[in-house]
Amino acid sequence: MTRPKAKSKKPGGVDFKKIRRKIGKKLPPPKNATNTEIKSKAIVLPEQSVAADKAGLAVNKKGLTLKELLQQTSHHNAKVRRDALVGIKDLFNKFPTEMKLHKYAAIEKLRERIGDDDKVVRRTLYDLFKSVILPGCKEDNQELIISLLMSYIFNAMTHLAFDIRIMAFDFLDLVLKFYPPSFSSYAEKIFQNYEDILRKNQYFSQDRGKLKDVLAGLIHCLSLLPWNKGETNLVDKDDNGRILLHAFDEDMPLSSNGFSHIIKRLRDLAPVLINRFLEFTPSITAMASLEGKSFGCMLSILHGIDLIIRPFVHGADKESESPSLEGEPNGAMLDVTLSSMLLKKVFPLFPLSPAHHLSEKVCNVAQSDNAVSEKSLIQLLPFIPKFVSRGASYWTTRLLQAFTYLFRESKPGSLLKLACLSAIEDMLTPIQAMLSLEKSNPENLELQEYLMAWIAELPLLLIQLGDKHPACSEVALRLQLHIGQRALSNSSLACMYDDVQDKLQNFYCTCQGGGKKCSGPFVRLPRESQELSLCCLYYFSHLDFPILKSIACCCLSPELDPSVLFRIIEILHSAYREGHIKIADHLSIFITFVLRFKVSPEGSSGLKSVKLSQTFKSMTTLLCSYMAQIGGNYLVLNIIEKVIIDHILLKPPLDNSCSLLRMIVAVDSKPTRLSEQSIIILGNYLSEYLIDAAQSLPEHYDEQCKRSTQLTSVHYYLLPCFFLFDRCHKLLNLVLKTMRSAIAESSLWPISDDYTQHPSNWLVRVNAVASVLLLIDKDPKMRQILSSFKEGVDSIIQNVSSLQSSEKISMTIEEKHKIKCTYDRLKMLLR
Amino acid sequence: MEVVVASSSVDAGIGCWDLHTGAEQLRHKSCWSPPHGLVSVGGRFLASSHLSPQSSGGCIFFWSWSKPQIGVRSFPAETIKPLSANHPGTYIAGGGVSGDIYLWEVETGRLLKKWHAHYRAVTCLVFSEDDSLLISGSEDGSVRVWSLFMIFDDLRSQEASQLYEHSFTGHALRVTDVVIGYGGSNAIIVSASEDRTCKVWSLSTGALLRNIVFPAIIDAIVLDPAEHVFYAGSRDGKIFIAALHTESLVTSSYGMHIIGSFSNHSKSVTCLAYGISGNLLISGSEDGMVRVWDARTHNIVRMFKYAKGPVSNICVVRPEIDSTNRISQSSSRKQGSDLPPPLEKYSNSVEDLDAKMPILLRGDKRCAEVSYLSSHVISSHINELQRHGSAAASELEMGKLKDDYQKSMQMVNQWKKMYENLHQFCVKELLDGGQARV
Repeated sequence: MTRPKAKSKKPGGVDFKKIRRKIGKKLPPPKNATNTEIKSKAIVLPEQSVAADKAGLAVNKKGLTLKELLQQTSHHNAKVRRDALVGIKDLFNKFPTEMKLHKYAAIEKLRERIGDDDKVVRRTLYDLFKSVILPGCKEDNQELIISLLMSYIFNAMTHLAFDIRIMAFDFLDLVLKFYPPSFSSYAEKIFQNYEDILRKNQYFSQDRGKLKDVLAGLIHCLSLLPWNKGETNLVDKDDNGRILLHAFDEDMPLSSNGFSHIIKRLRDLAPVLINRFLEFTPSITAMASLEGKSFGCMLSILHGIDLIIRPFVHGADKESESPSLEGEPNGAMLDVTLSSMLLKKVFPLFPLSPAHHLSEKVCNVAQSDNAVSEKSLIQLLPFIPKFVSRGASYWTTRLLQAFTYLFRESKPGSLLKLACLSAIEDMLTPIQAMLSLEKSNPENLELQEYLMAWIAELPLLLIQLGDKHPACSEVALRLQLHIGQRALSNSSLACMYDDVQDKLQNFYCTCQGGGKKCSGPFVRLPRESQELSLCCLYYFSHLDFPILKSIACCCLSPELDPSVLFRIIEILHSAYREGHIKIADHLSIFITFVLRFKVSPEGSSGLKSVKLSQTFKSMTTLLCSYMAQIGGNYLVLNIIEKVIIDHILLKPPLDNSCSLLRMIVAVDSKPTRLSEQSIIILGNYLSEYLIDAAQSLPEHYDEQCKRSTQLTSVHYYLLPCFFLFDRCHKLLNLVLKTMRSAIAESSLWPISDDYTQHPSNWLVRVNAVASVLLLIDKDPKMRQILSSFKEGVDSIIQNVSSLQSSEKISMTIEEKHKIKCTYDRLKMLLR
Repeated sequence: MEVVVASSSVDAGIGCWDLHTGAEQLRHKSCWSPPHGLVSVGGRFLASSHLSPQSSGGCIFFWSWSKPQIGVRSFPAETIKPLSANHPGTYIAGGGVSGDIYLWEVETGRLLKKWHAHYRAVTCLVFSEDDSLLISGSEDGSVRVWSLFMIFDDLRSQEASQLYEHSFTGHALRVTDVVIGYGGSNAIIVSASEDRTCKVWSLSTGALLRNIVFPAIIDAIVLDPAEHVFYAGSRDGKIFIAALHTESLVTSSYGMHIIGSFSNHSKSVTCLAYGISGNLLISGSEDGMVRVWDARTHNIVRMFKYAKGPVSNICVVRPEIDSTNRISQSSSRKQGSDLPPPLEKYSNSVEDLDAKMPILLRGDKRCAEVSYLSSHVISSHINELQRHGSAAASELEMGKLKDDYQKSMQMVNQWKKMYENLHQFCVKELLDGGQARV
């Protein structure tokens, strides 16, 4: 039973396998089933930005994130692109940290826009880089940023559209300003591109402004070359800021070796520039007035040529130093070809155009005050010294003629004048070098004539400038000083320089009508300019009396600072020591100082100003020490004796006469050398002087106020007299005699004069005499001398006592008491 | 012995004092030297420019240490004010009133070179530490650095646009003093001027390192040996201390970089010097006194009364010659024979320039005689030495050969001996073997 069952089963089982299923059990998955399961980590669904939740994200005004904005920068619509750029700027301004985090990504995206077709977009991008991104990346890896940008900039430079190219140069300029060291690695390519763009005549002929921009960029590049760097670096070095002298200086990353290949590029660039310059000249000469833009272009071209030429000159110098370089073709040969080209093309043209135009246009400047042409003239002026320094030739004359005209006609204090002055200063050295080499050359003689003309102009200019334009005055004075320092080597120059002083008188002191003197512009100039003008004085080979007088007059002006006064005296003395001032003039100036100095300022009705009298005292000390330094005191005394005695007869104020006496004392010797006559005059005068001095004491003078300031001031007045008495005992005797007679006279006064007015007056005088005698007596040395003139003192006391007992004068009780006191005080002397 | 030498611009002779004992030495007569006009030439003798009021032109005088009279008088082409000698004393440089600089060879008196240096009179001249540079200050306010290599290289000096290495034109008035520090090409130069400033310049870069404004004119400056500070003697009688390397106090009462001052309570300080040994500062003053200060404490250590007139120059010198020994020697000589001939007025170009290098030999200290030998003598000596040398060398060679010969002979003997020994041994062995077999 089982067998058939098995047989029947077999065939059916082969073809159709019967599978038995249990109810309720799950089916296994079919073998050919497709796996429909989808696995994903996250689901990104583009969503509407308005609807999205941006809490905590940095967004701009319009609510867009940086990512969105960057995406939008490559939008096909120019307006959207521009808006995106504006948005980025806004965002970065709001969230600086955002920029820090994403700047590389942002730059990578933004750089594509350098070559954008739309002008506005490029402009906006430029703005974005300039104002936000580049300043924000100062501390980061600048090299990386530059390298990111550079390839795109170069790409844009070769773009078909001309505007894009121009803009690319603007970007280049921006980048180089941001990180100048990057220039060295791209220099060759940069110059290549400049050359290409400058060859494109047709574009520039319409738009001068663009050419000017390009040229400005080129000049900036050229000035970054290592050999042109020197000038710019020197200026900003501050010498005072350093604490240690040998401190370590960080060197700039100068890779001057890497620049050798550039020289070839520059050589190609130069002819292009020269051609461009030549194109301009016919149009300029044809035009009636100078057009600002094209003139600016010419200027920048010239500047560019100048910067290019410089390394060749530099290289030529080097070559002469090291003969091993001789084989190289880029030195001498290049120099020859270039300079010949320059000489042929540029130089003859240059003087032609400016010489014509300067003289023409200067008239225009004067008439219509054409600001544009004046400005361009200023820019032109710095080139003149460079041309002059290359040697005199037929056209220098014309150039200098125009220059001199310009210098004369320009308004004092204008920028033009300032530029002229600095140009003269630059020309000074080459002209002097040329003059010293060959004097016979007629062209050099012409140079000298121009130089003289400029020098003659200087003092007038200084006076015209007054104190209104301190900067211009300073430049002029510095120029004058430099001329003065060099004047000796050239006799005609020295003569010219000396002649300047006559015209300079009014600079220090202006004489007004009626003999009233007024201080000149010098007094009101800043301190540095004053110092410079004083230094100029030192270099005059002889200082004449008129200018000395005007300087003295200026010194006595109350406006002048005392420190300047001392400096003037110091410099005058230095000049005297060099033999530039005659001794008689020198001494008379000293005496004038002392005589004319006003201790009490005008309008203060005779009240002394403490500050002024202090100044006066120290000035006298200074003058006395200088007089002693002159040497040959006897001689000096001889010269000043007569003058001083003459002035003393006129009875100047107390302080001034004290200083005069100090001067005599300073040069006199122990047995006095004063003449008999002057001793008599002094004897007469001194008693009065002493009485005046004593009257400045407080009335109730007593021993307690010994140390008071008044006492020391009286002592100051008395001291020169003590010296005189010590040196000449006879003088003391004379003084005592005069005093006695003065007292005797005063006793007679009340009769002769108005009765009621005088008793107190003569009383004061008698009192003063007494104080003088006491003061003299207090000095131990003087006491000795005084004791030898006992009879003189006695007779004075006699007079006083007779006065006391005199019946002719009616005195109040108080007065009587006073004179009694005086008498008692004097009596102490006899003890 | 360290000697302080002082001279004046009015005649009071040249005063010499021993710095450490204070004893006054011989006073040399008739010297009217302007500032920077007195110099000791290599310590062998004194030279001074001379500006007497009687004669119109200036001249240069030499004095030997032992005699008060003028030894040698020379009359250059124009008035020379500043003088300077290089350290060994082989050359003298002088600055003329027209701005020319003259360079003489001391031994022969020849004028080697004269060149136009300044627009106005030269006021001071200094040799650098290694004598290769000459620094000059002038009345026109400029300080210039001259390389002597450049000056004597005719080819290069013709080609170059200017002769000087540096020209510092910062001063507005006459330069009164110039000093140079140590440090070779990296040294600093300090210049003082009548415009009341002192300026510090860098020799290597030619840049102005520091500008110090003083309250008075500075007539003399001297560097502290360590170059921490410099001392500046002013016309108001004070000696100011100005900072170089030390931290400077901005709040100082005198101004920027001025640390302090000390005063001798007298007239202006005209010259300053620093002692060779010991930390001593020496100042000369207008009142004719020479004061020696302790540089650390600023106290006066010693005072020498020089004369009534102003002191214009001070040098500190170590005279080379023991004076007692010298006197006995020089008495036997003719007067002035120990001094070189006078300096020439004009340069003489006829002589060949090959052998103009004087060589100073001073090996033995006891040998007071200073001898000069021209270069051809030296070269003949060298030749001779060479010839001597070759004879000696052949002798040496001979000795060496003999040695070699002896050595090889010994070796041969040794070999022989060894061979014989071996031979004997072999023979013995053979014989023994034969006997055993038998």
